[in-house]
Amino acid sequence: MDFTIRAATLEDCKDISRMILELAEHEKVSDQVKITQKDLEQDGFSKNPFFHGIIAEVPEHLKSRDGHTKVGYSLYFYTYSSWKGRAVYMEDLYVMPEFRGKGIGKALMSKVSQLGLAAGCTQLNFTVLDWNKSSLDFYLKQGCWDVTSDLGYHCMRCEGDALENLAQGDL
Amino acid sequence: MTPRHMPIEAAQSLRYMTLLNTSRSLVGLTPKPEDCKDIARMIMELAVYEKMPDQVKISHKELERDGFGPNPFYQCLVAEVPEDHKSKDGHTKVGYALFFYTYSTWKGRTVYMEDLYVMPEYRGKGIGKALMATVAKVAKEQHCVRLQFSVLDWNKPSLDFYLAKGAEDLTAKEGWHFLRFHGIALDNLALEAP
Repeated sequence: MDFTIRAATLEDCKDISRMILELAEHEKVSDQVKITQKDLEQDGFSKNPFFHGIIAEVPEHLKSRDGHTKVGYSLYFYTYSSWKGRAVYMEDLYVMPEFRGKGIGKALMSKVSQLGLAAGCTQLNFTVLDWNKSSLDFYLKQGCWDVTSDLGYHCMRCEGDALENLAQGDL
Repeated sequence: MTPRHMPIEAAQSLRYMTLLNTSRSLVGLTPKPEDCKDIARMIMELAVYEKMPDQVKISHKELERDGFGPNPFYQCLVAEVPEDHKSKDGHTKVGYALFFYTYSTWKGRTVYMEDLYVMPEYRGKGIGKALMATVAKVAKEQHCVRLQFSVLDWNKPSLDFYLAKGAEDLTAKEGWHFLRFHGIALDNLALEAP
């Protein structure tokens, strides 16, 4: 299939927002998406961005049933491992269902890893839900490993009241 | 690469706080380059505790390069005690928390706490709690809605510490797994980029 991968721009935030919701629906939690197109514009395209994005785009004649040419995206940011140094974290990887199986997801992920290596990173990290077998199989087939299964690391989170209480608890 | 973190100036207003405990520890927000040797020492101590000391590949040099300048990859808090409370081995820097900003496409700005460590002889004095609370405070100041981190499943003292503070175990609760590409697998993946 004919497609291009390029850096996301401010104008892409509308389509990124659309696809974030589509991905959340796939993960069965679309009511959990609280950020908007405007948040993405502010947080991804200001002086100190919190993330970077890449977009997969197809030519007009290959557009989706609903008329979209932006058919996939990945959001990523740089992180740090106190053991290994610079790392890149892939927050989202998504391709619209009708464009799957054509190498677009792989191309997006490869681009993130290429950008990460260019920035001096030695790891590409991300998370997957354990019931999401199709995604797990896709990633494991590419040569990654499951740090949670192999080493026993659990993802932990403080938010809402717990974060509030924690922040007020310092002396 | 564009800068990711909040300007250091915003963070410097939180430069120091004093902990009200018998050690009278001070928690400094931004390390100085010379702190990196102690941070590297404590990183290794934490890796030994996690039973993976052979996995530590970076030294204080990378910490200095990556934690300072206009595009830092991380921020760090260091807990320091006065000279008269120094450790058996003569250290006054006795704990640290290393963190950076991340993003949730569902909820927005997040802080990820990469490491939280207090030397064994200084535990039980509220230093770990104060470090973590300061990370949470910085997170709130920067309008972050989440603080995330990871814990080894066999590390019961740490798990209990975090769960007692209201943390949720997302791996146990929702089935999230960390996956990683590194080494040759990462190189091969990058080679296929269009």
